[in-house]
Amino acid sequence: MSDQGCGIRKIVYYSEEFLLENGSAPAVPAVRATAAAVVANPWLGGKPSDDLSAEVVQFAPVLARKLTDVLIAGLGGVDAIQAFGKAAIVGTGGEIEHGAALIHTPFFGNLVREYFEGESIICFADDRGDAGSTLVVPLWHKNAAATRSHYQTITTRIGDAPLPGEIVVVLGASTGPRPHSRIGDRLTDPIVKADTLGELIS
Amino acid sequence: MSIRKIVTFTEDVLIEGGREVAPSARVAVVAAIVKNPWAGQGFVEDLSAGIDANASDIGALLAPRVLEALGAPAQAYGKAAIVGLNGEIEHGSGLIHTLAFGNHFRDAANATTLLPAVEKRGPAGVVFDIPLKHITDATIRSHHQSIEVRINDAPHADEIVIALAAASQGRPQQRLAAFATETK
Repeated sequence: MSDQGCGIRKIVYYSEEFLLENGSAPAVPAVRATAAAVVANPWLGGKPSDDLSAEVVQFAPVLARKLTDVLIAGLGGVDAIQAFGKAAIVGTGGEIEHGAALIHTPFFGNLVREYFEGESIICFADDRGDAGSTLVVPLWHKNAAATRSHYQTITTRIGDAPLPGEIVVVLGASTGPRPHSRIGDRLTDPIVKADTLGELIS
Repeated sequence: MSIRKIVTFTEDVLIEGGREVAPSARVAVVAAIVKNPWAGQGFVEDLSAGIDANASDIGALLAPRVLEALGAPAQAYGKAAIVGLNGEIEHGSGLIHTLAFGNHFRDAANATTLLPAVEKRGPAGVVFDIPLKHITDATIRSHHQSIEVRINDAPHADEIVIALAAASQGRPQQRLAAFATETK
């Protein structure tokens, strides 16, 4: 299906490469990026009881293919991608459920995992807003979601989208950890409970 | 030259006015977030040393990157300097309004016209629009356009965002009369 046939008005790519953080170069460099597609909401004017599945099957796989292609090209290949996340911003004429439908089913998520060669559940953010809304897209490791060094976010925004009848579907990815990540991991954490902290919180 | 971050941004328009745009229209922006060379120095009368030390290097960094991000010959172009809250507009202007900066882009794009520009001061996350005009004839009306940019955590108060923008074609669905034809 052509991009226009899928109702894609615009595709936006945004990447950030950190050369310095707090004045020094990260020991492990990383580039974070988002790819966003602005699509017509196929469920405008519907009822809360409507079955959304036919359009999910029709549109979500095309968006997964398109957005993974953009990120793989932008970030230098599948192997370079270590973390991922997803998001949807529904225009004010739509339901939150419309955005969820495009990103929270196997017709999007399973294909993103397959194209990115990842196994983790994909972390996400959903919102509804006007054109120009910002949304923070969470990312975590594509194969080991609890890898704390890879907990990070990237902010997405398109000046003229979503229009009230549109949905912005966003996929995020990173080629590495946070700059200067150094807060340990589950394997190195001490046991922390309220009663072991004593006077600090008593 | 102290660069904290490099941002690459592309926008492809596939539909405008409800109609297909074929081929799709791309505008690319690459921005470097640099330390303001005059930060903390009070009012510096002669900016030439800071300009000489930075402007050419930043232009040389950004020009090939923005053309690579565009992935097509540039037909229109523009530039930006967004100064953090502790700096002067003149600081940003100093870094981009010199041939030492712009000629890197002009030469790489086979361009001849002046680069249209935005210079402003703002907080991190400020929204700015970069104007673009045709690379060899600034009167070509079909190519007058702009691209909106926002970087969530830049510029810091002592930073400057320096950016270049390039467009693969004119405005999607452009259909205005050519320059000056309306007065004949």
